[in-house]
Amino acid sequence: MTTTEYGIVYAVHIITVQFGSVVSKVCEFLLRRGPLSSREISRLVEPDMSYNQVKDILCLLIQHNCVQAFSIEPPDGSESKATVQYIVLCNNILHRVRYNKFSRIVNEELDFKCGAVLDGLLSNGRLTLGQLIERDKDSGKPTGSEEIRESLQKLVADRFVERIPSPEPVLGNKEQELAKKKGSKAAKILKEPETLEERVLEAATPVDAIRFPHIFEQDSNSPLADNDSNIPEGKRKQRDVDSSDHNNEVIWRPNFEEFIRRLRHKACVEIVKERRDEGCAIVLKAMLEVGRSHEKKVKTDKSVPMSLSSIYEEVMKTEAGRTLVLERVEACLDQLSATSSYLPAFVIEMDDSYVVDFKSILSVAQKDEIEAVVMRRYGKEAFRMFRYLSQEGRFVETNKIADAALTEKKDTPQILLKMWKDGYLHMQKLVVTGSYVPFLLWKVNKLIVTKQMLDEMYHASLNLSLRLAHELELEKEVILLSSRERDKKIKAKGLLLSSTRFKLDDAIMIFHDF
Amino acid sequence: MGKRKLPDPKSLGGDINEQHEKKVLDMIRKNQGMGATTSELKSDKTIPPTLITRLVNSLKKKNLIREVPNMNNKGYKHFIAMEFQTSKELTGGDWYTDGSLDLSKIEDLKAKCVMILERHRHRVVTLDVICGYFDKQENLSVDQTKEILKNLILDNEIMEVVSNGLNEFAATRIGELCYKLAGKNSGNGEAIAGTSFASMPCGACPSIGLCSPDGVISPGTCVYFQKWLDF
Repeated sequence: MTTTEYGIVYAVHIITVQFGSVVSKVCEFLLRRGPLSSREISRLVEPDMSYNQVKDILCLLIQHNCVQAFSIEPPDGSESKATVQYIVLCNNILHRVRYNKFSRIVNEELDFKCGAVLDGLLSNGRLTLGQLIERDKDSGKPTGSEEIRESLQKLVADRFVERIPSPEPVLGNKEQELAKKKGSKAAKILKEPETLEERVLEAATPVDAIRFPHIFEQDSNSPLADNDSNIPEGKRKQRDVDSSDHNNEVIWRPNFEEFIRRLRHKACVEIVKERRDEGCAIVLKAMLEVGRSHEKKVKTDKSVPMSLSSIYEEVMKTEAGRTLVLERVEACLDQLSATSSYLPAFVIEMDDSYVVDFKSILSVAQKDEIEAVVMRRYGKEAFRMFRYLSQEGRFVETNKIADAALTEKKDTPQILLKMWKDGYLHMQKLVVTGSYVPFLLWKVNKLIVTKQMLDEMYHASLNLSLRLAHELELEKEVILLSSRERDKKIKAKGLLLSSTRFKLDDAIMIFHDF
Repeated sequence: MGKRKLPDPKSLGGDINEQHEKKVLDMIRKNQGMGATTSELKSDKTIPPTLITRLVNSLKKKNLIREVPNMNNKGYKHFIAMEFQTSKELTGGDWYTDGSLDLSKIEDLKAKCVMILERHRHRVVTLDVICGYFDKQENLSVDQTKEILKNLILDNEIMEVVSNGLNEFAATRIGELCYKLAGKNSGNGEAIAGTSFASMPCGACPSIGLCSPDGVISPGTCVYFQKWLDF
């Protein structure tokens, strides 16, 4: 999904709070105008910033994984050089408000020492092992270089940390690529067109063996060295700057993909627990564990097929699952595979195998969020109309909606118009010969509603952050006349605003990242 | 030789008018509960269109027809013969009385339905049982009962399930339609369990489109935020 207006405003706000308005100005140009070269950015920001300042800001944003540099191969026969452009990674900017969620995952799955190493990478963007060891030495309670190395190895083994991507990948010229593929079988396979961001990230990302190496040796003969044998054809690039620093140490950074995958799995288990029961949640958790290493991308619609025996084996590994007998696991799978008028199937059974349907599970949570907003904002009658239209999945005329929802025919158009004005309904006019007044037809378009909700949630997150800043400003004024009671109240307000923003971010991930 | 008496102009016109009036009444009666609109009456070429309004008013005065608005097509009025009940298509449906939806009756029936399901909280209640109750107590048809149930499903207060004969369905036939309360996912005016956006001021705000960081409506000046944080 392309970034919404308030997605951009929120991202700019995050950068402003963390790096200042000068940095966020550059970020905003990239968000609104797309990829730009450093010269183009400099022309846009002058005279407020010099060219060198722009370059420093870009380096800072790259350091913190918010921007990726790239270039496009000039056309065959052209004498022009490839210009380096910079593309903003909006998702990585939005991840910055989730760092404590990422830390919690590592603290729970691994240990606090790994959590401390991860925190170092999160706050600094990217570091070498040497820099992590230095950082540990400067801290109040150093754990020692061996512990740091071991923790980093565990993080890389579990894919929470990765080697940084190629700093300036070269993309093939798209027209030439298409011309080459013309007539080949590959061209006939229908594939969703990739965005530029997807192409850049794909080109920059090294193969798994390099991205998550098992061996940590740092010399030019090691498997980690950036020689051509490690780089597959199509990704070979100029060897001017590689993903190591001047001491030839590998540079590491948090692997946001893996954190989002874990959070996605956790959210799916919670959704199933709420709507089915604890047993079904335990079984689903086991299925997600079995299928995780086979997931090619985070937003996969379905898991790989898995057998009952492999699911049961995984269930038995957990403390909660040890009390479940095979028959109970089978019964849970039957429940998860059942479709009803109020819940879709969460698992698909086919040929003695079971597949997790992620899309189905997340759609239930999305539906609940949207309907809750409709209820709170527009009232019970609107709620009934919205649910009726969602079920119908097609255009329905005003009076038919009034009949189905048992609402006054004279009030129904007003209620529908309010929802339509705010982007929650799609409307079409139908002119019929012989009728002076056109018929109004209404429909819930899930894509449009989802985008509208997401934009509003970004807006709300921004509002919570701004309100928190406002309350903290007030606290500074009030502190001179403080009373214990007033202090308590102010702290409670701050906690409510922060915790609401924390929970709202979970909802944002359900609509955008999962 | 006596003078020839000229025919009385009133009586002549009166006869023709009576004939037209009868024709109009017949046209209205022919469609029973749907009656006829002014434009439908004017489509008869044998009756001068300019006369239709006068004829219709005369029939109304004589209490032979009544005027009923079309709830599905505002601006259209139907004339219906007194002998016939107005068709549901014109009144809007079973739940309309004198052109208005009988909301209090509908809410009352819905509340009674929820009460039945609350009494059998740990089991399901079949469609047959609910229809039987409403037929006896409220004189509702099966279709009317189904409408009430559908409305409660849209309210997210109850859910429709199909019996598999096991556990809570033990007393029912496999495949039978049953109903039970929707539990903690019930709408009931409260934010649905687990939702976060709806439970904060911006989620419920009708002016979110007008709100901006430095605008007249902003998070710093927002009265809804003020109330929410006033504890």
